[in-house]
Amino acid sequence: MAVGNAWIGTVLRVDLTTGTWGTEPLRMKDANDFVGARGLGTKYFCDECDPNVEPLSVENKLIYMTGPLTGTAATSAGRFEVVAKAPLTGTIGAANSGGHFGPELKFAGYDGIIFEGGADHPVYLYINDDRIELRDATHLWGKDVHKTTDMLIEECGNVRVSCIGPTGERGCLFSAIMNEKNRAAGRGGLGAVMGVKNLKAVVVRGTGPVKVARPEGFLRELTKARAIIQAHPVTGTGMAAYGTQILMNILNEVGALPLCNGRGGSIFDHADEISGEKLSETYLVKNQGCFGCSIACGRVTRIPDDSPYAGFGEGPEYEAGWSFGADCQVDDLAAVCKANFICNEYGMDPITLGATIACAMELSEMGAIPESDIGFPLRFGDSDAVVRLTKMCAEGEGFGKLLELGSYRMAEHYGHAELSMSVKKQEMPAYDARAIQGIALEYATSNRGGCHVRGYMIAPEVLGLPIKTDPLVTEGKGSLLKTFQDLTALCDSVGICLFTTFGMGLPEIAGQYREAVGSDESDEDILLKGERIWNLEKRFNMAAGVEKDTLPPRLLREALPSGPAKGKVAELQTMLADYYEVRGWTSEGEPTDEKLEQLSLG
Amino acid sequence: MTGQLVIDPKRCVACRTCELMCSFGHHDYFNPRLACVSVFNYEYAAVTVPVMCLQCDEASCAAVCPTGALSRNADGVVVHEDAKCIVCKMCVSACPLGNIAYSPITKNVFKCDLCGGEPKCALFCPTGAITFVESDEVLAKKRAVADNFKKTLEEA
Amino acid sequence: MKVKFFATYRQIANCKDFEIEAPADVLGLLKVLCRRWPEFSNKIVAPDGESLGADAIVLVNGRHIQHLDGVRTSLANGDTVTLLPLVAGG
Repeated sequence: MAVGNAWIGTVLRVDLTTGTWGTEPLRMKDANDFVGARGLGTKYFCDECDPNVEPLSVENKLIYMTGPLTGTAATSAGRFEVVAKAPLTGTIGAANSGGHFGPELKFAGYDGIIFEGGADHPVYLYINDDRIELRDATHLWGKDVHKTTDMLIEECGNVRVSCIGPTGERGCLFSAIMNEKNRAAGRGGLGAVMGVKNLKAVVVRGTGPVKVARPEGFLRELTKARAIIQAHPVTGTGMAAYGTQILMNILNEVGALPLCNGRGGSIFDHADEISGEKLSETYLVKNQGCFGCSIACGRVTRIPDDSPYAGFGEGPEYEAGWSFGADCQVDDLAAVCKANFICNEYGMDPITLGATIACAMELSEMGAIPESDIGFPLRFGDSDAVVRLTKMCAEGEGFGKLLELGSYRMAEHYGHAELSMSVKKQEMPAYDARAIQGIALEYATSNRGGCHVRGYMIAPEVLGLPIKTDPLVTEGKGSLLKTFQDLTALCDSVGICLFTTFGMGLPEIAGQYREAVGSDESDEDILLKGERIWNLEKRFNMAAGVEKDTLPPRLLREALPSGPAKGKVAELQTMLADYYEVRGWTSEGEPTDEKLEQLSLG
Repeated sequence: MTGQLVIDPKRCVACRTCELMCSFGHHDYFNPRLACVSVFNYEYAAVTVPVMCLQCDEASCAAVCPTGALSRNADGVVVHEDAKCIVCKMCVSACPLGNIAYSPITKNVFKCDLCGGEPKCALFCPTGAITFVESDEVLAKKRAVADNFKKTLEEA
Repeated sequence: MKVKFFATYRQIANCKDFEIEAPADVLGLLKVLCRRWPEFSNKIVAPDGESLGADAIVLVNGRHIQHLDGVRTSLANGDTVTLLPLVAGG
């Protein structure tokens, strides 16, 4: 491992309080031990920031970090990570994004950027190779993500833009950091961390190279990995044709589509109306790929002008299709698309927002939220209400001010925190934990709260990738999840898209990594870095006083009333014990000294 | 000429793998700004077009070159020879398609050389938006256009 | 019984679902489908003619047949069989 091989070797540090910046050498030992992006960003953060820092204070640092493969032609290697303490959860917040921003940052000559402090007026950071400027962003403040992006391109020329919308400026707890308009570092509210720093955007133009240690070997590995990805039915053809929304029908068929904030049954009769198949027949204009990505799952969609939901943008992904659709009992795909467009334009996480609206719908039907608070009657199935509330949240208007706190704080406000379908205050996505036991364990143990991309157990439990396991049993889920979590941490950290792992696995990730950085470590040694990252995150959360691993009482006690998983609850306790054991943690779920020692985290 | 690059923008997903592999093929590192192929994305039209040198039969770049640094090789490819080039950049102005460029990074002009007969952009394009076809196939395509013309004229 | 198609299988069958008299088991059904839509032949049944195609997912009443009796899972009128190619998302 050496500077110049996959790494640029330079980190940009920006002090927003004083308006100064400087470059420093990348800490190569950490880059080796924590891989890059998610792992390395978290390492820098943990070393520099008090775990008890208030997330929405300027003392919280904000770190953009790329991976060693970012910017190369490795499989789908356009990824970067944004790390801060997450406002929504108080956990380590690490949000991964695709697009073209991450590679451009490396082309400009930086592996990452560390933002400290806060500016006294809105600013944006301009990077044009080694020319750096903190520029006034007063004229951009209040502008949405699309407008901001267009204005910055107009102002700065051929640049890539990462920015926040008005929700991030306002401190919405699930505001996202958006790049290329529609790509998001979406979860945990990192947009609000940018907002509190008065940092509206980062624009970058880069003209330099990204080199690899062993070009010939790298070409061989990327050619092999790309061939596997392109020959695979999922990553080669399926995701391009239907996008992630293809999951809607199958999750409904297996009885695992969470409905009505988890209150409802398990089968949504109208699932097909909001499915990937339907999207392809109706509003899909074309599919699109991120940087260097052959999977190209992105959906460019347009709702015609004669619709009340007219608009143009990207998405929805399956998770947003579920949150605004099935979870709210909405079967109008145009409304779902519209709500998703608004999320992109204003910079909000559609999983949390849709799930928060569903929670509000349940509370409203129970009579726990007075109609006067919302301003109109709110019931499940009302597509207009979903779009209206999405707008209200985007604008921070009326009841939107409560929605922007996320479902936990909103439900707590009305005395029903137990009806927030969240873990560590972050909303779980589109898989009912009662019908898929391994995902229950994944939600409960995820280091950033309710989340599906920290160990995507749907792949083995529902889809059979890479092996098929029974979603209704608990045996073996602990050790399978550990492997998935470690591999995911590795994948996120090298800088490639998690979706590649539907088609390829550790040998291809490790193979590309070795040739890029010039390492001769074994696959197992490289996977161990994923485990190290996981334990680092866990240790931070413990120091930050994050609550224990559990699920909302509904999932533990209220059995599914119907469908293939009828009668099931999430059997969490059994799985947790197994999981902690394979992790080498105490029965309370804390990493032991021996484990930390073994991972060189002692 | 042995073969020709053909684009099909309808298939392009804007991933820019072509740019990456082109730069890697020529320099052993990744830098889209040194790619001989460029991808243009039209957001609202949802159209993306890859553009590269078409190896013109009447190559303006070669015609204008004062030192003979640009010439057609045995395979019909217009190639650029560093040793003869004085980097006057006349070729950059002369190319009507913008497909030969100057790089401030390498301080040199660069253009597509079809990677010696195995163009990386086509080889790695995941969707077939860029393909490398035998010249005969191109002729067959031209023939189809001509046939269409003939038909239209006959009907007129 | 009811047979449902998703993703590209819907294009092959050119319908979302249809009703059929239940064959004895899943393999029997798959063979019926292959006769009716020959394009299914190399997809839903493996080359040996006796097992499930590598890239096919078959659910009986929402349960993956691997957790039932595989292609020998018996069928009865009133059952719902779901067929789709391997897909993923997230």
